[in-house]
Amino acid sequence: MKNLISVPAYIWAIACLLLIPVMFIKNDALARQLVKLPFMKVHPVYSGGEQNRQYEKDGLTITVNKPVNNTAFGKGRKEMVQVSFATQGQLPDRIDQTIDYDFNNKPDFSLTINTLNGETELISINPVVRSLWASSKVKEIWVVRVNLNNKPRP
Amino acid sequence: MKKQTVYTTQGSIWKSIMLTLPMILLILLFIAGGPPDLSTPEKSLSFLFTFSFLTLLFFLILYTGRTDRYRAWGFVALALFFALTFIVNLIRARGTMTFSQETLLACEIPFCHIVTTMILIPIAITNSIIFPGSIIGGFASIASMLVIVVGVSLALGRGFCSWGCFYGGWDDGTSRILRKPKIKKINPVFRWLSFAVLLIIALVSAMSLNPVYCDWLCPFKTVTEFEKITSFTVLMKTVVFLSLFIGLVIILPVLTGKRIQCATFCPMGALLALTNKINPFDVRINKDSCSSCEKCINACPTLSLSKEGVAAGSPSITCMKCGKCIDTCSKQAIHYHIKGTPVDKNYSWARNLFLYPAFLLLVVFLGGPMQSGIIMLINLIKNGSLIN
Repeated sequence: MKNLISVPAYIWAIACLLLIPVMFIKNDALARQLVKLPFMKVHPVYSGGEQNRQYEKDGLTITVNKPVNNTAFGKGRKEMVQVSFATQGQLPDRIDQTIDYDFNNKPDFSLTINTLNGETELISINPVVRSLWASSKVKEIWVVRVNLNNKPRP
Repeated sequence: MKKQTVYTTQGSIWKSIMLTLPMILLILLFIAGGPPDLSTPEKSLSFLFTFSFLTLLFFLILYTGRTDRYRAWGFVALALFFALTFIVNLIRARGTMTFSQETLLACEIPFCHIVTTMILIPIAITNSIIFPGSIIGGFASIASMLVIVVGVSLALGRGFCSWGCFYGGWDDGTSRILRKPKIKKINPVFRWLSFAVLLIIALVSAMSLNPVYCDWLCPFKTVTEFEKITSFTVLMKTVVFLSLFIGLVIILPVLTGKRIQCATFCPMGALLALTNKINPFDVRINKDSCSSCEKCINACPTLSLSKEGVAAGSPSITCMKCGKCIDTCSKQAIHYHIKGTPVDKNYSWARNLFLYPAFLLLVVFLGGPMQSGIIMLINLIKNGSLIN
């Protein structure tokens, strides 16, 4: 009986011996299969979220993404919105734009960006706009992330 | 009178050569990735050295019967060459070891296996991965690394921590600096600390949607990449991971002779310990041959052996299958074993079936960095610079 159990045990061990080279040789193909799984996407907190609207203004292509909730459970107070600026050629030295992130025809915040040194000023117009999280050139696009509160502060 | 089963792992020279031949082919396949590039003297030298080094290590493991003694040479080399090539390549690409906001926003942070411990609960909650890395493509993509983590877990369990982890060689190396450790007695209960670290960082990462161990604690940022200091918070993070590197990877392993970081603080080690249950290889102690000298308990670098474990005939699930206890045992009572097979038979089969995948893992991870690292060192000697 013990010998009978040993047979699948040895087969299992030999399978593991084969698994290591296969895992590396076929790594790319296996990774492409893995990517098909529904959870294989970067959380919007890191990717910046889905695009909400894109428009042209002052020679800039402005992309406003959907606000992203920063909490794991339920819809928490903290959110983040990503806005990006692109042009056909080189980015201007200074970007000065007012953003209506929720598209209710009321400006929510204004941004002044010095694209040469990265200095960014955020002026909150809507009280839900909290602070600047990130502002940086990513490849040829200038990306800004702004922290929001779901509800206006008391 | 009890019948004693004594076996030896030492092989005859011809048998060792014959068993090394398949590994030679695998080494050639994995370090060259096709016909070897011998176009320059530097490339030829680095290829020949790497090939000879790996072949010699495997042969010596088989011929002398000493697993840990020769594994450690390769494993420490892996840590050193990985860090060297990673840092030099970063400096070539970015001009610095630090990553900036741009790297984070572009989701270009390389995914390391330890991050796996922090993404599992958030995957269940948010159906996404809380890491600013590339899903596929580029260096160390999330999908590619997850395939490796799953494969290694199934094949070797926590054996990865002694044969493939490109960080483990740091404290494996520092723990061998003193021949006699200054701190001799460490309560084996500390081995469970890594499970507490795993639980805490998994929960905190899920709550905050932030891989907290990478962000705040990982000591190995010291030898890879870290956030550019632009605020007091980032300065604090830098102080924390540098202190942990000095404490857990250098000072404590030197004083104790144990792999303190791996044994007590690495969440990936704890996760892989759980996968030790689902792979075929383990380490067993033949109670008939054991003289209860406790040398193996003192030798175990991960506190996985205790008196109770020896009496029960197996180390705890935290065993990294490094083979140090096997090398230490003068009665040759400890051996690699395949689950489901008789404990007191076919030692050589079990050892060889374990050694092939385990050593191959070392070959795959060490081959590339060692060849690149040797070329960098040759350039350093010739031009006085590692970077150019």
